[in-house]
Amino acid sequence: MADIELKKKPSMDEEEQLVTKQRKDELKQEKKNEKEYYKRHKRMYKLTAGDVIFNICNYTVFILFTILCIFPFYYLFINTISSNDLVSKGLINFIPRGLNIDNYLSLLKANEVGQAFIVSISRTLLGTTLMVAASALVGYLVTKQQMWHRKFWYRFLVITMYFNAGTIPWYLNMSMLGLTNNFMAYIIPGIVAPYNIILVKTYIESIPAELEESAFIDGAGYWTIFRKVIWPLCTPILATIAIFGAVGHWNSFTDSLILMQDASHLFTLQHRLYLYLTQTSNIGALMNQGVSSVVGEQLMQSALNGKVIKYTISMVSIIPILMVYPFMQRYYVKGIMLGAVKG
Amino acid sequence: MKNKKTGKEKLTEILYYIMRIAILASVLLIFFPGMNPAKVCDYVNKNMSLFTSGIAYSDLTKLCVRAFDKGWVHEYSFIILFISSLLTCLGIAATGAMGCMSLGNNKFRRLGNKIGIAGAGVQIVGLMGILLAYTQIAATDNPKKVIPNFPLKNWLVFLVLAVIVLITAVITFLRTPKADKEEPYYMESKFKLFLLFLPFAALCFVFSYLPLYGWRYAFYDYTSGGTLSAENFVGFQNFTSLFESEATRADILRVLRNTLVMSGLGLATSWCAMAFAIFLSEIKTPWVRKFVQTFTTIPNFISWVLVYAIAFAIFATDGFISSMMVNSGIWTEGRNMLMDPTGHWFKMLAWGMWKGIGWSAIIYIAGIAGIDQQLYEAATVDGAGRFQKMWHITVPGLLPTFMVMLLMAIAGILSNGMDQYMVFDNPNNTNVNMVLDYYVYKLGLADGRISLATMVGMVKSVISVILLFLANGASKLLRGESIV
Repeated sequence: MADIELKKKPSMDEEEQLVTKQRKDELKQEKKNEKEYYKRHKRMYKLTAGDVIFNICNYTVFILFTILCIFPFYYLFINTISSNDLVSKGLINFIPRGLNIDNYLSLLKANEVGQAFIVSISRTLLGTTLMVAASALVGYLVTKQQMWHRKFWYRFLVITMYFNAGTIPWYLNMSMLGLTNNFMAYIIPGIVAPYNIILVKTYIESIPAELEESAFIDGAGYWTIFRKVIWPLCTPILATIAIFGAVGHWNSFTDSLILMQDASHLFTLQHRLYLYLTQTSNIGALMNQGVSSVVGEQLMQSALNGKVIKYTISMVSIIPILMVYPFMQRYYVKGIMLGAVKG
Repeated sequence: MKNKKTGKEKLTEILYYIMRIAILASVLLIFFPGMNPAKVCDYVNKNMSLFTSGIAYSDLTKLCVRAFDKGWVHEYSFIILFISSLLTCLGIAATGAMGCMSLGNNKFRRLGNKIGIAGAGVQIVGLMGILLAYTQIAATDNPKKVIPNFPLKNWLVFLVLAVIVLITAVITFLRTPKADKEEPYYMESKFKLFLLFLPFAALCFVFSYLPLYGWRYAFYDYTSGGTLSAENFVGFQNFTSLFESEATRADILRVLRNTLVMSGLGLATSWCAMAFAIFLSEIKTPWVRKFVQTFTTIPNFISWVLVYAIAFAIFATDGFISSMMVNSGIWTEGRNMLMDPTGHWFKMLAWGMWKGIGWSAIIYIAGIAGIDQQLYEAATVDGAGRFQKMWHITVPGLLPTFMVMLLMAIAGILSNGMDQYMVFDNPNNTNVNMVLDYYVYKLGLADGRISLATMVGMVKSVISVILLFLANGASKLLRGESIV
């Protein structure tokens, strides 16, 4: 037996080699054909002068617009890492000079900004996690035909997307619930997000029902099915809503503005930035605030004018988004399309 | 299990229904400030519900710092008040658990009854504690300042509900046959699913439906910290005053003009995203296309505050443009272009497009990918040029999507959001910058005219819903498909 197997093995390898060789040849042939096709194609449809002009204009316009979109970020960034003397003279416009990261280091010492950063990060992490978990569970529950008055409850959720009581009733309601000057005000209202629930529901409905049925026959309960079958299969859509949710949490500042009027330690980073941008007096306070005179002096020296501090805080708020952006790209198109299906 | 129910069982069911309704009523009532039994003196905020009194001690005692210092009230009476409110809330929560468990089998029901009886007991103890706190506070030596005032009606409502729950729970407990020890806890799956869903429905109710109850402020002459009573009920006076007073009318007209102009400009340029997508798809170098698409989408993901930070970096006195102009000697000193109100509407439109066009184009790009390539080939064979193909194939292919987007935009014509206009607002441009959403915020929270702001917001919401229905109707008429 062993001999036969030993003999057989090399022969199989040879066969495989033959097959792969054939495949390679085929591929080569295909490539050749393609190249020739393109050659002919080019000869057949030669670009006219009009096409050339159109292409030049089209490329130029798009590339200019793209630069318009990136340049401000680049400009902010080079101004924060260049020598502050040159920045205050307005000499850093295209190329960074006198590279250093002192501005970022001195910002770390200003506890107002650090606090705001921690608030923003924690609300983003906690809020997004809870929102995603809740959307997944509710999205699963509303696909279950057996649920008591399912249609009514689904509409009960969805209808809230189309009306809005308004800012003032919302504020009065939040203060009635004791959610003013309270960190939980960032988290709890966002847990149930009807739009995300619709996305998850649509996605779950596209999963073959047999998967769930077979798990059910094997004796799994709803909870087990949700955890072991639905949750793993939904990861793409959950990633999508997680990204949108996280960006929303990171960027929101009206809730901080309206609800945290007496709790400056709960301001989000965006809210702090808004205050620094609109009220110059805050910058001076920031530079002297809560730090010993040595550090305060250092801060004064390192930031000759408020401008650099404003730029640095802006950069600190932008960087997390730019960091997750490459991962987001894979998912947001999917999210938009799923949303469009539902309208 | 599925036998016909006997008369006795029917009676038990009815008792259960009474119990559930009483529980639901108590759970709802703890969120209404008007029904707060813990509002025993003037030092308790009038807008505080029993729920808030029971969870936020600092809010409960916010107004009595002076009273504690002067010794008019003992702090421990307030501690008793707080603990009693907390106990009442916990008791109601326990009866709520009983209400949920009453949907299960007998074993579940008996367990629920035990919890619920204890809960109702705790609730009654809590209510008695509130009474005790009141008697202590009423014994103050400065009743003119403290104004002890026992909310007897609210307190009785809670007590009666607690007693009803207690009695029904005891009776149903006695009537429910004892289950075998081996019998498992069981509940029909429709109720199981519903109970899993219930907390989320409650959250949705509290944060999306409950604010509608705040619309009542629009019909009162309310000042912050005051009360709503028959005396300051004004009916539709807030609504008519929008038109009667010369100053307010001018304000409203100005705000409406700004809102409609900016939304109108947005609508008029909404085809730009489609054009962006169509021309982008004409770029035949994949990496350039990818590059453009990637980087024009970034601005959509930053907040309006950051957009303003960028505007600041580019257009402020010591920003990019000023420093370029000054360094090259064209200007003698930097200018703050953000303070310049000329063409403000178009600037806002430009910022909106800078932020949003790459993002709005994505849906059209996906739409173009879905158009049948054979159409283009056929058109090429027929001798159609580039623009003819765009106009006769791509545009009609994208038109349904465009119509949906346009109708949604029309439905949202009054809601431009307040972030953008708030961050770009300054004394020079506020005249042309103020839009409805920002106006409501400013009127209500900065100027403290809560009733008027609620009225404006309410009218806006109602009109928006009507517009949405109209847009939906139009969509049904035009495309035979609804958009909501």
